[in-house]
Amino acid sequence: MKLYKKEGNILQILSFPNENVEKGDYLLVEDADAGKALIVQVIDVQFACIPGVLEELLRTLPDGGEPIQGEDIDPLEIAPHITYIQDASLLICKIRAPLENEMLSPSSSWLPSRSQSTIKKLQIPMLLKLAKVDGKLPIILGGTKDSSLLTIDASALDGRLNIITGKKETGKSHLSKLLIVSLVGYKATVVIFDLNGEYSSLGMTADGKRNMHYDKIHALTPSQNFKVALEQLHLNVILGILSHALHLPGTSVREFRRIWKTLKEKNTLTLHELGEAIRNWNCNQHVRDALFSRFHALVNSGFFTDNAAEATLLEECLLKAKEHGGAIVINLRNTSAIDRQIVVEYVLGKLVDSLTSWKLKAVFLFAEEAHLYLRDTYWDDIVTRMRHLGIFTTFITNQPDTIRENIYRQADNIFLFNFTNEHDLDAVSRAARVDAETVRSIARDLPPHHCLTLGKVVRDFPMVARVRAIDLKTMGETRLFFKDTN
Amino acid sequence: MVIGQYTITTTPKYNFPQPTIDTTLPQRFLEQSIHSLKQVRNQSFQLNQQNLQQTSTFDDNPTTLQLKRQPLPLTPRTQETLIAAVDTSTIKIGETSKGIIIAIRGATIWKQNRNYRYTRLGPFIFHITEENKKEVYNTLETAYFNIQYASNHQATPNLLQMPTRLASLLERWLQAMLAKTVSQGIILFDGSLTSGTIDTPVQRMKEILNTARRNKNIVLAFSKMTTLRVNGYLITDLLPEHEPPYLLETTGLQFKPPTVLLGDVYVARLNKANYAFRLDIDREIPIQHRMEAVEKLLGNDLYMQSYPETLRLAHILCTFTANEVLAMQHFITRKHGIQIINRPDMHRLLFGPFGKGESYS
Repeated sequence: MKLYKKEGNILQILSFPNENVEKGDYLLVEDADAGKALIVQVIDVQFACIPGVLEELLRTLPDGGEPIQGEDIDPLEIAPHITYIQDASLLICKIRAPLENEMLSPSSSWLPSRSQSTIKKLQIPMLLKLAKVDGKLPIILGGTKDSSLLTIDASALDGRLNIITGKKETGKSHLSKLLIVSLVGYKATVVIFDLNGEYSSLGMTADGKRNMHYDKIHALTPSQNFKVALEQLHLNVILGILSHALHLPGTSVREFRRIWKTLKEKNTLTLHELGEAIRNWNCNQHVRDALFSRFHALVNSGFFTDNAAEATLLEECLLKAKEHGGAIVINLRNTSAIDRQIVVEYVLGKLVDSLTSWKLKAVFLFAEEAHLYLRDTYWDDIVTRMRHLGIFTTFITNQPDTIRENIYRQADNIFLFNFTNEHDLDAVSRAARVDAETVRSIARDLPPHHCLTLGKVVRDFPMVARVRAIDLKTMGETRLFFKDTN
Repeated sequence: MVIGQYTITTTPKYNFPQPTIDTTLPQRFLEQSIHSLKQVRNQSFQLNQQNLQQTSTFDDNPTTLQLKRQPLPLTPRTQETLIAAVDTSTIKIGETSKGIIIAIRGATIWKQNRNYRYTRLGPFIFHITEENKKEVYNTLETAYFNIQYASNHQATPNLLQMPTRLASLLERWLQAMLAKTVSQGIILFDGSLTSGTIDTPVQRMKEILNTARRNKNIVLAFSKMTTLRVNGYLITDLLPEHEPPYLLETTGLQFKPPTVLLGDVYVARLNKANYAFRLDIDREIPIQHRMEAVEKLLGNDLYMQSYPETLRLAHILCTFTANEVLAMQHFITRKHGIQIINRPDMHRLLFGPFGKGESYS
């Protein structure tokens, strides 16, 4: 390999066929005289612009597209040299960091010698060592192309905003599960908004047996094993549900607050009493109608109960998880859009309450396709207020444009699977910790189950790894019409 | 067809046409190539490329030349006829402190059953110095052609003439091979049928034409460029208002000895493209057969821009591309340990933007 050109932070390197360099590989450009080196990453591989190649190709196609047949008597065996030159490639590399005395240097103004520099592949374990991507809480993400393991540290997810995105069936949920069980293994509290019922069996192995996490996985299905009694609710949680999920106007919210306080004082906070109170409350008829319609929505959701024995205490699950680590899976699979918002409002409200009162230290929140249940104002809340309270969110989506730009800008880690659509790649490219060229070039060619990891977990050295297999029961499979006939 | 006698067997190292033709010359080409390159081991050389095609250098302009204004109209004959062509090319790929490094390659191409096929021979790479040029040239001269030519040899060519002279040797050998192996075909040469020059002795060209005739072939030699003029005008510019294809006959063309013309010279305009070429046809061929040969060429080959496709392909296939030059430089660097250096271009150095560079000098 030979250094050819530098433009901005792009280095162009000439590579020959036997050197076998691919997109995503890291190279070390070493200038021994200067005692420095550059760590660069290949983001694209192009044909080198070899003079005469066009003529070479043209003369083999003289006759209507049919290759001309013939015999080359090449006694000096020049032909292999011709193909060697023809197949030379130009590696478009992004400069990631200069290296001086085995330490990453912050300066990026240094230019290595074109004639004297040597260029060699930098193996991932060496890079991880140089970048100090290590720690006491390792999570093995998977294997890299050079058969080494890509290990990140769980603490790099702590206090961070993460995004897992990619096309359908590329392995996003699989990676989420891997991160969740790893975090649970380190006694972290994880809450999952499970849109497709995929995470309920995190405690089971593929063959249906209990795994080591079985006791730590709490699957809660709204209106089935997950109901709440009104008396368990804080006023601000129910007001949040009414105003944000059920869009109750401000005037009606004020009336509801009074009704709620009255019932609370009487210690009669039940659905039945609430209905009666609305019926008999001395207020404008329009307000009463508005309150009644929301009351029926609450009742019809099946999420609220007057039966204290039926009510599952989310708080209890959270406390259990706090002690030994655990995942609370909120299964939203068969829940309507309105009910989903009610449940999410409740859970988020509860989490904020628990965190504010220091009942919980911090929570890792995994939210699949959050645009389907997260109200507009929560997006900003999640990256600012809630993060400071201790909710560290990981968004999982196959529609990257549904996540707001400010989320991308503040994302600390991005786990990117394959995308071919320009529009999708554009959306992801907005992330502050990513350069657009890397995303566009590498993500487009990622095979299924291969993930480009960007951000703090890899100390801003984008790395591609095949996400390792985990022995978990698969759930949430798409129902197929022809499944039995094939 | 006799062209099928190009039986190729693969040996671990070399692969030459066997056994009906004498392969001494290409064997010597290879030996001399390797031998000369061994002498340059561990020397540095200056990159310098110059692609040289075999060109006719003896278009003196006899004043007696006349061009008949009456065209000889042609009608394409589609009767299946093999069309074969040969061309060679040479390129200077660098200079060493003692001499030059050149590459030579030849190509024969034939069209049969609507398909083109080719055989390419080379490239042969030579390091030519003042010390070895005589040995290289004489060894190759005597390798295939009669020893008498070598002994009659006037003088060893100078260093700059060596590329074209060696390429000319290969071209004559390839022409001779085609004349031997093709029968009842039309053989196209690049250039003219003028002989008696340093690199084309009369006897050698005569033998090639005799062999071709024995095998019922007709040789047609197309010159891409000519300097022959009538009344001050190039003969290829004096085209009458007549529907092509046609030939214009010339008369009175004579050269000073020892240069001998072994063909009759025509101007050929083969299609409506406004191009015409000098065409030499073996003088020993009866007039009627000459016309038939050109008509068979018209009926069996493509002729874009009035030039036969077979000959065009022969030219294209032997020409060196920049990619191949790089590959050959890579080869001599790797196999023979030659360091590639770039000497400063003195024109650029001295005259800056006003210097055209050595390559143009």
